[in-house]
Amino acid sequence: MKKMITILIFAVSLSMSGQANYQEGMQQAFGLWGQQKNTEAVNLFERIANAENSNWIPYYYAAQVEIISGFAEKDIAVLDANLKKGQNYLDKAMALSEDNPELLVMQALLYTVWVAYDGATYGRKYSKKINKLYKKAEKIAPTNPRAVYCHAEWNIGSAKFFGDDIQPFVEDLEKSLDLFATFELPSPFYPNWGEDRAKILLENCKS
Amino acid sequence: MKLSILVPMLLLISIATYSQTNIGGFVLNQKKQPIVGANVYLKGTYAGTMTDAEGHFEFATQKKGEQTLVVSYVSFETKEIIEDVVKMNSLAVKLKEDVSSLDAVVIAAGTFSSGDNSKVATLKPLDVVTTASALGDPIAAFQTMPGTSTVAEDGRLFVRGGEADETRIFIDGIRVFTPYLTTANNTPTRGRYSPFLFEGMTFSTGGYSAEYGQALSGVLLLNTINEPQQEKTDIGIMSVGATVGNTQIWNKNSLSVNVSYLNLAPYNSIFYDRNEWIKPYEALSGETVYRHVFKNGLLKLYTAFDSSRLEVIQEDINFSDGLRYGITNDNFYFNGSYKGVLSENWSVQTGMSYTVANTKVKYQLSDIDDLENSLHTKMKFKRFFSNRFQLSFGAEYFLTDFKEDFSDEIFPSYNVGFQKNIGAAYGEFDLFLSKNVAFKMGLRGEYASLEKRAALSPRASLAYKVSKFGQVSFAYGDFEQAASNAYLKFNNELASGKTQHYIFNYQFNKNGRILRTELYAKSYDDLIKYDTELPFYGSNFSTEGYGFANGIDVFWRDNTSIKNTDYWISYSYLDSKRDFKNYESEAQPNFVNTHNFSVVVKHWIEDWKSQFGLSYTYASGRTYTDPNKTGFLNQKTTPYGSLSLNWAYLLTQQKILYLSVNNALGRQNINGYQYANTPNGSGVFESRALLPAADSFFFVGFFWTISEKGSDNQLDNL
Repeated sequence: MKKMITILIFAVSLSMSGQANYQEGMQQAFGLWGQQKNTEAVNLFERIANAENSNWIPYYYAAQVEIISGFAEKDIAVLDANLKKGQNYLDKAMALSEDNPELLVMQALLYTVWVAYDGATYGRKYSKKINKLYKKAEKIAPTNPRAVYCHAEWNIGSAKFFGDDIQPFVEDLEKSLDLFATFELPSPFYPNWGEDRAKILLENCKS
Repeated sequence: MKLSILVPMLLLISIATYSQTNIGGFVLNQKKQPIVGANVYLKGTYAGTMTDAEGHFEFATQKKGEQTLVVSYVSFETKEIIEDVVKMNSLAVKLKEDVSSLDAVVIAAGTFSSGDNSKVATLKPLDVVTTASALGDPIAAFQTMPGTSTVAEDGRLFVRGGEADETRIFIDGIRVFTPYLTTANNTPTRGRYSPFLFEGMTFSTGGYSAEYGQALSGVLLLNTINEPQQEKTDIGIMSVGATVGNTQIWNKNSLSVNVSYLNLAPYNSIFYDRNEWIKPYEALSGETVYRHVFKNGLLKLYTAFDSSRLEVIQEDINFSDGLRYGITNDNFYFNGSYKGVLSENWSVQTGMSYTVANTKVKYQLSDIDDLENSLHTKMKFKRFFSNRFQLSFGAEYFLTDFKEDFSDEIFPSYNVGFQKNIGAAYGEFDLFLSKNVAFKMGLRGEYASLEKRAALSPRASLAYKVSKFGQVSFAYGDFEQAASNAYLKFNNELASGKTQHYIFNYQFNKNGRILRTELYAKSYDDLIKYDTELPFYGSNFSTEGYGFANGIDVFWRDNTSIKNTDYWISYSYLDSKRDFKNYESEAQPNFVNTHNFSVVVKHWIEDWKSQFGLSYTYASGRTYTDPNKTGFLNQKTTPYGSLSLNWAYLLTQQKILYLSVNNALGRQNINGYQYANTPNGSGVFESRALLPAADSFFFVGFFWTISEKGSDNQLDNL
């Protein structure tokens, strides 16, 4: 019995040190990202993902850093390289977690970077795919606020471009804010962004 | 085991885990320059770091024994080093550049690609349908590219001094035997296939891959959409007809159906036309695409049918009552293809196409009935070794069975025909020595049954990046093509024609601005000659014809300098002469313009939800023979000029109004002259200018897409 307890304690302490590594690493990576040290942050997320090996979350953030910074990138060769890298992280995350609404939303955002870069060229290629991804995410997780919010933002952008009525999508945006209010994080470091931007967007739409 | 032993052992293990080994070294590129910010870590552990400004890294690990060190950096190939950790110090890790990155060299000689993420995209898919002069025809859009000649009364693609049938069209890698609609004499044709079926188009004006044969001058490769994204219904109402389409998607399947009807009778009754129409042009066409996604592949079945007819009396110098010409054409085309992955490194592409084309022509008192059955099957394998080396090989088979019945009230009737079989095999490899140097080399072997002869055609190209945005390429190739049906039907034993291409290309590509210049030399051999005015049953044929074509193509495109404006300019200089057909001596053929110039401009006005387009084409005069003077092809027409305008107005995201006018200034372009067969009383051959049926053409259309939650529109379809 004593033997069992010893082994048990040993095992727990080992796994706890792993858990501590994860927490510390993730916090450090978010810190780097906050200081706009994107390369450092991505590299750290990649290393954490590699060490954790069955957790999609660090890959998700590695992809997100590349994708978000892509919206400001003007050099197409750099953009293409960074988004390829982002896609690579997303592919790995999707292999670990199939039909994950957060990853579907992130994939849609990656395509949106291309559309934002050059709508005339990439709008035709990606706009339908983007819609399809959001619809799939909303079908899998009807209460996921990011799927509803990002889809609404995309639809508002398209409707404004074509001069269509944005009202139905503003309602979707309001719905996403209700969902944000009640959304519970299923695990630590689970994606939790979007509420602030959704509020700002809603104000802009109403003014 | 006693607890007293276990505890010290556990302690030992945990002490062991806390004793550390240092790992360190440098990360360099192939030029031995340091890479800053590379990610370096031990696989499966938290141990890792990134390289500093000198490319140096150092970190400690508790792991022992053989481990995997991963080194990764954006735009470089990730490297893994498996080694005992104690040996992982003072490492010099060399990373190779990723040759698939956007700024790597591309093999560009001869090719215009209209993909989207494609690195050599000079024409985007949407461009094809928004080019003012093109009226939704991809063929017409590619006529604004350099390397093409302006043969306004024909409408087909004439590439670098080649005849129209020297440029072959492929859908999903499979040959289209009858790509053009039938029209009256001296009336330009259009491509049979609507642009919205395709998501990528590549137009090569020379030096193309060993995969493509039976084309002396050019290939146009059209790839159909892999997976439609949305169920929808498209409706179009046009001044010349109507079109309706529907796409359904279920499970792993999708089906698109499209039907259109064109009738030029109302148009001809409003606008002046030089022809006297008995039966104005009328066409009914339908097409379906069925796609099925397998676990490791994609099956596409494309079927198209179209039926058209017309009858007209056209002015003619030799017939005071005019020349009566009628045509009915029924065309069936099937194209099935499968593309799949066999294993991690092997992929396969296979397909077949089958064409039945029946054309019945009434020419004065003659009836000519042509029936063509053609088949193409092909299989291609690709072995992926790395981003740097790929090998592909394949085999294909062409069969054409052609029959012609000729009957006339005065001339003797005849039946002619032939069956032509061509088998071919090819192999090719792509090799990147670095991000700056790439090779492509291939060999094609063909055997043609009618002439009982085999031929080998080598192809090679090399590309070298000379600066950050500039690169040069060189291409060489031998090309063969069987004699055309128009001659083979009278003489089954004619040998294939041959050309050799030498191409030198310089390309500069920076932030949405592309400059592309190409210098080429082509020589022709074994071209068809005959000794009568027109090829006929009794003509004596030979393959002693020859010729050459040399020239310069310049292309400039810029979509960034002027806001919301995209434009391109093409210029081609062509020097070409031939001695073939019934030529008395070497001469510049009548399908060659020495100078060709075109500009295409598109401007989007946000506030008006409108895209305005303009295209202008200028081409120097073409040759014709004036029998009142000495010599053959001794005269040239006045230059050709045409300005086309269009306006696409988005009523809503799903409703588009489209207006266009070709040759808006109404310039009278003369395509050539027809001379009387016999001189008049004073010994002069009288002549008549060959003018288009109408100088200008107007088009109005309304297009409406109905899909779930309005996010799809027809801007793509115009």
